[in-house]
Amino acid sequence: MAAPMKSVGSKLSVERPAFTTTSFQKKTRSKLVSIPGTRPSVQNGQLIVSTGVTSLDYLLGGGLAVGTLLLIEEDRYDSYSRMILKYFLAEGVVCRHELFVAAVQESPDDILQELPAPILDDIAIHKPVEQHGLPCGPQDSLDSMKIAWRYQNLPKVQSALASSSRFGHYYDVSKTMEPEIRQAANCHRFYFPEHPTQSSPTQSPMLESYSALLKSLQEVIHKGGFDGAAPMTKSRNILRIGLHSLGSALWGDDLCCRDNPRHSHALTTFLYGLRALLRSSLSVAVVTLPSHLIQNRALMGSITRLCDNAISLESFKGSERETNPLYKDYHGLLHVRQVPHLNCLVSELPDRKDLAFKLKRKQFSIERLHLPPDLSETVSRVSRGELAGAAMPGSACGSSTSGNKHLDF
Amino acid sequence: MLPEILQGTVGGGFVLIQDSSNYSGRQLLKSFIHAALTREEVVHVLGFEVSEEELKDGLNESSMQRLHFHNAYIDPLGWTESPHFTVHQFSMEQLTSLFKQTQQTKPFTLVIDSLSWILRHISTPVVCESLQQLKKGGAVRAVIGLLHSDMHQRGLVGSVCHLATSVITVRPGLRGDGAVAKTTKRSKTGKVTQDEEIFSIKEDLTVTVQGKPSQPGTTQTELEEPEADPTANLTFNLRLSDKEREAKEKLALPFVFSKEKKTALLHTGPGSGRILYEPDANDDYDQEDPDDDLDV
Repeated sequence: MAAPMKSVGSKLSVERPAFTTTSFQKKTRSKLVSIPGTRPSVQNGQLIVSTGVTSLDYLLGGGLAVGTLLLIEEDRYDSYSRMILKYFLAEGVVCRHELFVAAVQESPDDILQELPAPILDDIAIHKPVEQHGLPCGPQDSLDSMKIAWRYQNLPKVQSALASSSRFGHYYDVSKTMEPEIRQAANCHRFYFPEHPTQSSPTQSPMLESYSALLKSLQEVIHKGGFDGAAPMTKSRNILRIGLHSLGSALWGDDLCCRDNPRHSHALTTFLYGLRALLRSSLSVAVVTLPSHLIQNRALMGSITRLCDNAISLESFKGSERETNPLYKDYHGLLHVRQVPHLNCLVSELPDRKDLAFKLKRKQFSIERLHLPPDLSETVSRVSRGELAGAAMPGSACGSSTSGNKHLDF
Repeated sequence: MLPEILQGTVGGGFVLIQDSSNYSGRQLLKSFIHAALTREEVVHVLGFEVSEEELKDGLNESSMQRLHFHNAYIDPLGWTESPHFTVHQFSMEQLTSLFKQTQQTKPFTLVIDSLSWILRHISTPVVCESLQQLKKGGAVRAVIGLLHSDMHQRGLVGSVCHLATSVITVRPGLRGDGAVAKTTKRSKTGKVTQDEEIFSIKEDLTVTVQGKPSQPGTTQTELEEPEADPTANLTFNLRLSDKEREAKEKLALPFVFSKEKKTALLHTGPGSGRILYEPDANDDYDQEDPDDDLDV
């Protein structure tokens, strides 16, 4: 792979966080230029970029590796997946990467105008984790716990996902990015309804829209020198590709409309070609897909396998889970469908499967979902009794299993 | 929320009425037409499923000249020589040329009765693209479509709903009076609002909302018996009076640090470990005997 060979031996990125946990800096004498906004991963040495959401970076093992593809399965009303796409593009603007946005439902300019504003001062970031149950103010907190006072500032449950070093920026969702900052970044756009249609004589398994998109991407990568075609003296940059709502009916694909789509291999062929492009260039892609419309689970499985990273968002809006008191602090659940194996046999899996997300003004946080302990007596008693009954089919006491459910030793 | 969408104050877009064989949404569609005509708007109707007379029945006579009915009921597939309107004419170019024939200056409302008919004869991606262009186009102010959700596969219904700005799903009411409408509206900022209301349509095609349906099937709140207070009815006293509580809190615990030391310990900088040592009476700290000479 092209990416890791460039990454090994490069100095750590110049951005120093506000407080450093360690002042260690690897000194190397390599002539390789380091690309702003990237750093080598601590796990496998790949060059990684931040997705713009720090908790998502933590889930993906530090960040998104350059040359890989992140698939986001959209939630029902496409609110949060669109938000993550905007975070990704905003991070690209702040890190001075180049952007490529493709959309079909609205113009890419609409997406680019809604990018969140970055929080440029370091104050609002990475305090010790705030929790709900914590009393306010540091002064009167000393009186709250008399005996276990050392544990006062620690959170009750370690639910937020965070790593020790800071990589990536924070954004304020209530404000949009200033036009000056946005125009400083080089953005390529692909808007399918306005794209000049070229009738291709060759019979390809891909649809016209997908092949046009792939050709356009190939041109941009080649012209921008992301695939190594340009001489080494030119400074290297990363291309961030954002593809919105791929596979929906507006791309001309009936994947979402029928149980047995006529062009069942169009999207998978496109993803295969996209991954080949990504692997041979310094680019990273985020694709959102309305998977809740796809009825064919086998096809959805093959699409997931073709992408390196895959997460799925399930928002509580409109479902019966909205009223569930368990989920009242969160906006939805997040499922990790796939983690990549990049030059390794074993990948870093998240240790918890039940994750929930909530969109706050200054942060999109992904947390482990904690079920409160079930303190009602009847529930615990029945489960213990049943377990005891099931474990000893022929108990030595001679009593039948069904009769003594409420025996409590 | 249903009256707001009817009045069109939300600014158009694509309103989708989803019905099923249990309850027909055509009356609601007619009330939408009636509301648009009352607002002095021009309405174009693409009628596939019912005849012109049946659709115009019940509408106000005076506003008839603003209603243009494109008759696709007689010959929708173009089997005769000169059909009025066929289903294959549902594409952006043909529709715009059709609308230009009836000269109008301001944007009009387009009503499609029904989308299911079109979706059975034209492939879904093409229909979705046309709807998207209609939704955006300047000539059309709002598109209102009727979709029979039980006639199509779930993915297809989902794809069309995904395009819509507001989706109204109607089903029969539980108690027999009126029907229930579940409305989902997506605003441009991405905010989604939902509502469920019982409504009924009167003879003059006005919609009255009668309130929210009570949900019997949802979460059963268990009536918990008020738990008996275990500290009552005991021979010994387990409760504290206020004075006793104060005295308890004033009690100085042994082995406790002073307040300054606690704050110092709690707010130490991250990543550094400090050993804070306060020699007490038993420690013999002899300045002249350091342990530095130990060669360990």
